[in-house]
Amino acid sequence: MDTKAKNIIRYEYKFQFEHGRETNFNVELDAESLELLGSADAPRPAWTKLNFHQCENCPLSSDVEYCPVAVNLARIVESFRDNVSFESTVVTVKTQERTYVKETTLQKGIASIIGLFMSTSNCPVMDRLRPMARFHLPFATSRETFFRSISTYLTAQFLLAHKGKEPDWALNKLLEYYKAINVVNKGISNRLAKASERDANVNAIIILHSFGDGISYFIQDGLEEIEPMFSVFFDNVEIPEQSNGGNVSTPSGPAS
Amino acid sequence: MNDKILVVDDEESLRLTMKLKLKAAGFDVDVAEDGEAAIEKLKSQKFDAVLLDINMPRMSGIEALGVIRQQFPQTETIMLTGFADFSTAIECLKNGARDYLVKPIDTTELITRLKSLLRSKSSEQALFEVQRQYSSIFFNDMLGPLKEMVEALDRALKPKGKSDTTQRDKIVKEARDKCEKMAKEIQVLLDFSSTEIEKKTKEGISINTTELAERLKKLRENMS
Repeated sequence: MDTKAKNIIRYEYKFQFEHGRETNFNVELDAESLELLGSADAPRPAWTKLNFHQCENCPLSSDVEYCPVAVNLARIVESFRDNVSFESTVVTVKTQERTYVKETTLQKGIASIIGLFMSTSNCPVMDRLRPMARFHLPFATSRETFFRSISTYLTAQFLLAHKGKEPDWALNKLLEYYKAINVVNKGISNRLAKASERDANVNAIIILHSFGDGISYFIQDGLEEIEPMFSVFFDNVEIPEQSNGGNVSTPSGPAS
Repeated sequence: MNDKILVVDDEESLRLTMKLKLKAAGFDVDVAEDGEAAIEKLKSQKFDAVLLDINMPRMSGIEALGVIRQQFPQTETIMLTGFADFSTAIECLKNGARDYLVKPIDTTELITRLKSLLRSKSSEQALFEVQRQYSSIFFNDMLGPLKEMVEALDRALKPKGKSDTTQRDKIVKEARDKCEKMAKEIQVLLDFSSTEIEKKTKEGISINTTELAERLKKLRENMS
């Protein structure tokens, strides 16, 4: 067995357009650190310099020459610099486990892969999103992204509590993280506006910005919407210790 | 009743986020995924304002703006613009959009501009109502009676015989009573104008046009 392959997480993105044009991107992550592999070979156009429209909250020192997020995005941004956001495309994403195919707008397809690149770039602000890269869900809806985000954060708090540290069950710091993440999203959108002729790249960042922007409102109002789905946990029903030969029945009828 | 907003954007995440933000700010919100869907919603429901993305498939924001201005002139439109759309946004302003916002949209800016736009819209409507009330007072309560008096006095000035003297006295008395009533009404209007508008303006108190229109309406009911 190829041990090297075993330690790599791969996402193969294929964008297919009308008239047969096709563009491919392979994303390879170190399975343990979730760091993007191969970014050392990425092109470094002028707009990837750290001081080019540097984010307001950038914690990197001036001796860092290139913005790690911009470097990770360079190839995809250069590929789609002349494309319109709502251009129709069929995007196929192959992972080791399954294949996703979606006919969608280019902005949505780019947002999906850009989210992956940004969270694994070693940007100190975007690093908080890195665990989500392991459970990357291409073309996720807002609600799915909010849910994954909150779930990932609560898992981190559980692990924190397990280590004897103070967990943040109220999600206060999650909102702080997203505020900082959105400052980066805004900074990157300014950067990409200078690097692109049309709106596909910038609008992809705007989609990611909207997730960061909406999460506090989702926690406030959106969670109420999904609360009924969790009612089984609120009723405090005891689970019988012994099974009846593998068949489970409920008072309301057969198990679904 | 809350102001009702229609958010039109082809991107689901932007629609949902804006809906959550606007709901939290006290607006009633509905969403549409493009211009065509927006027009359908506008046909069945009344909206105070539409937040309209410019770049959308099927019917673009610019096309939708044209239809909204033509078919739903009472609904205000704010354009949402992304990268390199500034010239188009300016074009939209020329074509009747009231404002434009650049994505990614700052929440505070969005709410402030929307509230300001709707406040100005309701002020405009209230001013229109004040103007309507004043016109109605002058037309129905003054111009109408004045014309009747002129006609009656014309008749009184052309006596047909001695027996008309009683009739002429009656006409003159009615005209005098009407003049007296009108003088009182004009005085009430002048007092209203003096206390509600001039005094407040001098004292730097802002005038609530909606309240002004309501008070004028009540004043007129009392006069009649």
